[in-house]
Amino acid sequence: MNEPLVVLDGVQKNFGDFVAVKRADLTIGTGEFIAIMGPSGCGKTTTLRMLAGLEAPSAGDIRIGGKRMNDVPPHQRDTPMVWQSLALFPFLNVRENVEFGLKMRGVNANERRRRALEWIERLEIGEFAERNIETLSGGQKQRVALARSLVTEPQLLLLDEPLSALDAHLVIRMQGVLTRLQRELGITFVYVTHSHSEAFAMADRVVIMSQGEIAQIGNPREIYRAPANRFVAEFVGRNNILTGTIESSDTNQVTINSALGHFSAPTEDIHQKPGRSASIVIAADMVRITREATTAENTVVATLISEEFVGSIVTLFLEAADGTEFKVQLQERALTDLDIHAGGQFHLSWATTDAHLLPENS
Amino acid sequence: MAASVIRRLNAYALTFRLPIIIWQAIFFIGPLFFMIAMSFFLVKNYRMVEAFEFKNWDKMLSRNYVWDSYWYTLGLAALSSAVASLVAFPAAFALAYRSSESVRRWAIFLLIIPFFTSYLVRTFSWYVILAESGVINAGLGYIGLGPYTMLNTMFGTIIGYMTLTLPLVVILQTVSLASVDRSLIQASQNLGCPPWRTIFAVILPAAKTGLIVAALFAFILSFGDFVAPYYLGGSKPPTLPILIIDTTKAGQQWPRAAVVAVIMMVTLFVVAFTAIMLAYRKRGSK
Repeated sequence: MNEPLVVLDGVQKNFGDFVAVKRADLTIGTGEFIAIMGPSGCGKTTTLRMLAGLEAPSAGDIRIGGKRMNDVPPHQRDTPMVWQSLALFPFLNVRENVEFGLKMRGVNANERRRRALEWIERLEIGEFAERNIETLSGGQKQRVALARSLVTEPQLLLLDEPLSALDAHLVIRMQGVLTRLQRELGITFVYVTHSHSEAFAMADRVVIMSQGEIAQIGNPREIYRAPANRFVAEFVGRNNILTGTIESSDTNQVTINSALGHFSAPTEDIHQKPGRSASIVIAADMVRITREATTAENTVVATLISEEFVGSIVTLFLEAADGTEFKVQLQERALTDLDIHAGGQFHLSWATTDAHLLPENS
Repeated sequence: MAASVIRRLNAYALTFRLPIIIWQAIFFIGPLFFMIAMSFFLVKNYRMVEAFEFKNWDKMLSRNYVWDSYWYTLGLAALSSAVASLVAFPAAFALAYRSSESVRRWAIFLLIIPFFTSYLVRTFSWYVILAESGVINAGLGYIGLGPYTMLNTMFGTIIGYMTLTLPLVVILQTVSLASVDRSLIQASQNLGCPPWRTIFAVILPAAKTGLIVAALFAFILSFGDFVAPYYLGGSKPPTLPILIIDTTKAGQQWPRAAVVAVIMMVTLFVVAFTAIMLAYRKRGSK
């Protein structure tokens, strides 16, 4: 729909023998909120730094707005970044920090001041405009960093784990600030994080990286419901993975045989080779838990190990006879008729249509 | 319980602070007060007599040559501080940003080596190099230049001051530049700051404290130095340290020398205090 603003075309980054980013292809549209997520060392920050020009790609092309950027030095790009460490200038006050980008672009002092104060007000830190950076709290500094990056009104904002140093309740608030800003400004956000909740709460599309490679690109729902491989299924968390061998497959479903019995999942590929090993993923919130046996298509008996409460959502951790771990997620109020206690036996079941067969090569 | 912990802590802290307090009292504060007291003594028949008279102060402060010497020394020390800072900066910059960790470590080690040799010996070695028949003029003579007079000039004095201060200033500047947060430099470039401008927009203000302290050291060392202006500068016009020596030699005028010394101490206090205030000044309110 949109002309892509950013194109990564076979981008690779080597540090000596170490391949930080391996032949990455990615297009990002104007006004998109993209989250790049992965465990530490997966290459997500290196990818972001290449967009800012702080690292040069070893191979491949980076294009922004149709222009090849590989050899454009960072100061000639308009790709401001919000740093994990914030990197605010301690020798400048709040307003001077925000003015910095404008000053570098030769905007005159009055205009600079006016535009900086506008952004300072917009981010609700007006009362701190003339304060020393060190006197601000984490959340306030975060807002200064955002104002400093946005004051030049760029088309593309890069964010490198900007919320990782904040308290949990501030993270939620800042997520609100970020999504609202992104929607109002209509600019592209590329947001690097290792936090699922941040990525899934804010992004239009999520890029999952693992060991320098892009493991999956998709909207949060796709990544959650249809992980492209075992890594994504495990990394996203709250997924149950059952591994076995393919027993049979027909026009719309495949059945595998595992130590815990037979399980089915929908498939579009009718030529599943019987006997090959395959894995089925069932999201934790798709699993029903009951005390009595049910007649559902897919069932497992498991013993409760522990439970975890986050707000009104409860995650139960159970173990099946062969040691396979199961996670079940449900509303807190659904627990009342369940009488949960550690060591209790429960019946888990799910609909075949809620299961997902992992692609073969994963 | 809590009170006894605090008492024990205080006793503990005091045990370790006491030696430095005693040391300072005996070797710094004591002599300082004695020097101030001495500036009010009188000299009769080449012998110092305890007194409390303002004669020495009157005499010294009313003499033009004292003031000429004062401003000359002050200017020379400021010049030395500026030259040392400017000459040291490219070297410190290269060591901090363009060298590997191990090169930096070796360079700092090598910069300490000059201090192994007496400053006086290092100063005298400049004779061989700077004299009219010295190494430089011999070299210039080959291409038909010179000879240039470098000894017994202000140039000579500054060379001497550099011998004293430059290695220290390079070390202090390198350490303070190397400790500037790299993400600040990258952030400035990310916000559109070209590399050369980063030096003025980010590196200098971020390393300000260390750079000012380095310049302050150069000033203090040069201001009180006797060797460079005497042996390489030809002691004309005399700097304050030379004036002190001359005054004590001429008629045992220790009290008048004490006046000059007190003036120097006050000057150093003011300069050091101002420099430190400037070095640690923060932007914005509170």
